[in-house]
Amino acid sequence: MLKVFKYTLLDLTRNRFVLGYALLMLVIAQGLFMLEDDPFKALLSLVQVVMALVPLIALVFTVVYMYDIQEFTQLLAVQPIARRAILGGQLLAMAAALLLAQAVGLGLPLLVHLPSKASFILSVSGSGLVLVFAALGALIALRQREKARGVGIALVVWLLLVIVYDALLMWGMFAFSDYPIEPFVVPVAGLNPIDLARIMVMLEIDLAAMMGYSGAIYRNFFGSTMGMVAAAAIMLMWVVVPTWSGFRAFRRKDL
Amino acid sequence: MAEARITCTGLSKRYDKLWALRGVDCTFSRGEVVMLVGPNASGKTTLIKCLLALVHPTEGRIHLDGTTIDARGPVPHPGYRERIGYMPQISQFPASLSIRQLLEMMADIRGGAEGGAEDSLVEELGLTAQLDKRLSTLSGGTKQKVSAVLALRMRPDILVMDEPTAGLDPVSAKRVLSRAAAVRDAGGTVLITSHLMEEVESLADRVAYLEDGHLRFLLPVSEILERTGVSRLSQALPRMLEANARPMSYAG
Amino acid sequence: MGKVLAILLSWLLLPTMAWAGHHTFHSGQGRTLKDLLETIAPGDTVLVHGEVREGTITIRKPVTLIAADGAMIDGEGEGDVLVVRADDVTIRGFRIRGTRISHMDDLAAISVQECRRITIADNHIEESFFAIHLNGAHDAVIEGNRVAGRPGSEESMANGIHLWKSSRATIRNNHVMHHRDGIYLEFVSDARITDNTVLHCERYGLHFMFSHGNLYAHNHFEDNGAGVAVMYSRDIHMRQNRFLANRGASAYGLLLKDINDGTIENNTFMDNTTGILVDGCNRLRFEDNLFRLNGWALRMYASSMHCDLEGNVFSGNTFDVSTNGSLAYNRMEGNYWDRYTGYDLDRDGHGDVPHRPLGFFTLLVERMPYALVFSRSLFVSLLDRAERLVPSLTPEDLKDDRPLMRPNPTAGHGGAGEHAGDPPENEDNKGPNAVAALFSPFRETSLAHG
Repeated sequence: MLKVFKYTLLDLTRNRFVLGYALLMLVIAQGLFMLEDDPFKALLSLVQVVMALVPLIALVFTVVYMYDIQEFTQLLAVQPIARRAILGGQLLAMAAALLLAQAVGLGLPLLVHLPSKASFILSVSGSGLVLVFAALGALIALRQREKARGVGIALVVWLLLVIVYDALLMWGMFAFSDYPIEPFVVPVAGLNPIDLARIMVMLEIDLAAMMGYSGAIYRNFFGSTMGMVAAAAIMLMWVVVPTWSGFRAFRRKDL
Repeated sequence: MAEARITCTGLSKRYDKLWALRGVDCTFSRGEVVMLVGPNASGKTTLIKCLLALVHPTEGRIHLDGTTIDARGPVPHPGYRERIGYMPQISQFPASLSIRQLLEMMADIRGGAEGGAEDSLVEELGLTAQLDKRLSTLSGGTKQKVSAVLALRMRPDILVMDEPTAGLDPVSAKRVLSRAAAVRDAGGTVLITSHLMEEVESLADRVAYLEDGHLRFLLPVSEILERTGVSRLSQALPRMLEANARPMSYAG
Repeated sequence: MGKVLAILLSWLLLPTMAWAGHHTFHSGQGRTLKDLLETIAPGDTVLVHGEVREGTITIRKPVTLIAADGAMIDGEGEGDVLVVRADDVTIRGFRIRGTRISHMDDLAAISVQECRRITIADNHIEESFFAIHLNGAHDAVIEGNRVAGRPGSEESMANGIHLWKSSRATIRNNHVMHHRDGIYLEFVSDARITDNTVLHCERYGLHFMFSHGNLYAHNHFEDNGAGVAVMYSRDIHMRQNRFLANRGASAYGLLLKDINDGTIENNTFMDNTTGILVDGCNRLRFEDNLFRLNGWALRMYASSMHCDLEGNVFSGNTFDVSTNGSLAYNRMEGNYWDRYTGYDLDRDGHGDVPHRPLGFFTLLVERMPYALVFSRSLFVSLLDRAERLVPSLTPEDLKDDRPLMRPNPTAGHGGAGEHAGDPPENEDNKGPNAVAALFSPFRETSLAHG
């Protein structure tokens, strides 16, 4: 697995998409910090960028790259090496490449312009999103033979999680506003990895609001060790389940 | 002819609604080159992929040196894949790696980093000067050469090549095929798909003809010529097909 | 000639003897301070050494009590510690402690009753019930005192500096913490409250009730139940104060309840759940204040009228303005809103299209507080943006027609960094905010804003 990982990562470090991603994030982050007099305001804008763009890029990149190396994966599968080692190495390399690109494009500007707890949480949540959506992207590419359809599915998944989920949830809040739905809103929102990542960041940057009214409930929940563990567990589920499902698909897949 | 080494029994493969292979029975032996011919989508590539366990047969099984490959996949046999050299028609390698890195990678994966590799082919095919080029910048022919090197340099005992000469210049094609012949001469089993009759004629010990997933025949070249009474394989094959309107297989 | 000699002689002997109304008192040498106070003349000065434990000491003539190094007065729980019942008394430099806790009487470390021109300076008042209690005292000066109560529950706490029916008081450079209210004023007028620091008080840092015509400026309020509460008063002027880290379900930086004709200028509100809550106020001017990183920067109930907001900076708040009604009859103009997305084609420094600070999301959270979980989500920002373009739910007239394109540089602390409003000294400042500040340099940088 390490051999596949090593060479795939070597390939990816010079991959145009990965370099482009690092550059794009760097330009956005650096640009925001330079345009805004107030680094905190730049951070707020970055939060929105990260929550929308990172999942999209991680998804599309993984799907496209998986299709691109499909033929080579075939060749690898004929070599004396287990299939799980091939997929494992490739997944790790893609995750590592995206994380590296993000560290350069997002982490570095944050570290330079605004070394704070909020920045740290944003970086960590962003990395969580990379892992989740890389796993989802890989699963899509493994389950769908056609590249165009795979990319299409990826876009649908992204739209669902980035906006439709919240829209439906909010619709539900209005529709059932006569019922005691309050206790369910946060857990249900937290099931969506993008919402979860956003809530973790928000607990830091909207801390003052979070301390008031029902915000205190979120604060008490997610701010506690239990909450942190729960949040990490949900994130992990989003990584592990698609990955596991991807391995299952790959094991029996006709290449 | 030597004893059967690879035996396919009732081998069938269905992709969704399409049957790519329908009950193929055949054997391949040590020390022979079998050329797989047939029209496009006749099942040649699927047969190869079944042998390589890239594709799981829907029905039937393959016995290969004590390893059984069936719908559940290969029941692993240590070293089964170490003896296989596979030259696919590949259009996309990891784009940013150089040829050198790719060779390193495959050697690394095969564990025979230095010992087993035999790199005179790199020079023979004129790849030496391009070793540090990125794979994405290579022409189709050069990619074919790289693919050939990957298949041949580890001294395979079973060699599977899918249209090995497609896109290659005549000189390189000849060199690649002579390497394949060398594998046979060393007692290996060589399976090659091809469209080119001269190539088949020059190299094949036996010819397998697939059509619509059926194996129409698998016969020594000499027998084909004898049966049809012509001297050229290119003329013989159409006559064979006319003569055998119904599918048959024959292990010679 | 003899007179000159006498003066010369007294100069020479100055260090060893009391002269011309100057007395030195050493505790534990037979005589009590109470006795000495009985015998000395009005206008005399007493330099006190050692620890005085004589229960409640009442001062009935205009004298000056000065603490020598380390001098302490301990009331030993009898009641008040020092009671002042004469004009022109000065109490300076003492450590004072030992009040009794009472739910019947307002017992204090220094209790001033019905007198004028009292000076209470540089004292260190520890774990008292009330620390300084002025009742009907006029022209008092309370400065440089450090007042630290006993952390505990509100029932066993009283106010740090408490003024009742007193006028023209000067309260400056004091440091108060762990009391119920840090500074409490009821029926007080013409007070000047400047450069004080009030931390960790259970209820309010500074609390006005029925007190008119007062000024407070350059004060620092942090981590109190609420920073400052101004209630039922008029003509209160609030300048260059800092209201920090008042967090909780009913925590405010500044609570204005039924206030008329006040000014709120150049104050900094940061990290509060609610920066300012305005309830039933008329004719207030909010000018050049900095609202930063608050949950709700400004909550105005619709009962407020003729308030004026100009030159304020809103940045990094979860919500800038929130209301339960329409806020008609209030004016908002020339403020800086970090959420403003308009343009300034004529380059006059003001955006060419109005800004509507009340977003869809603000209203949603007013109605369903738990919707807060959607803060900064893509869906909500799209809705918010749409609502700002085409208002359908938010009040049409709630807008800033001339939003600033850049933050007003004089907003917030107004360049008053050299005042005592600087962050308090490190001791006893290890609250949650101090920890947050460690991890969040931006909170620090914004402290230095302006």
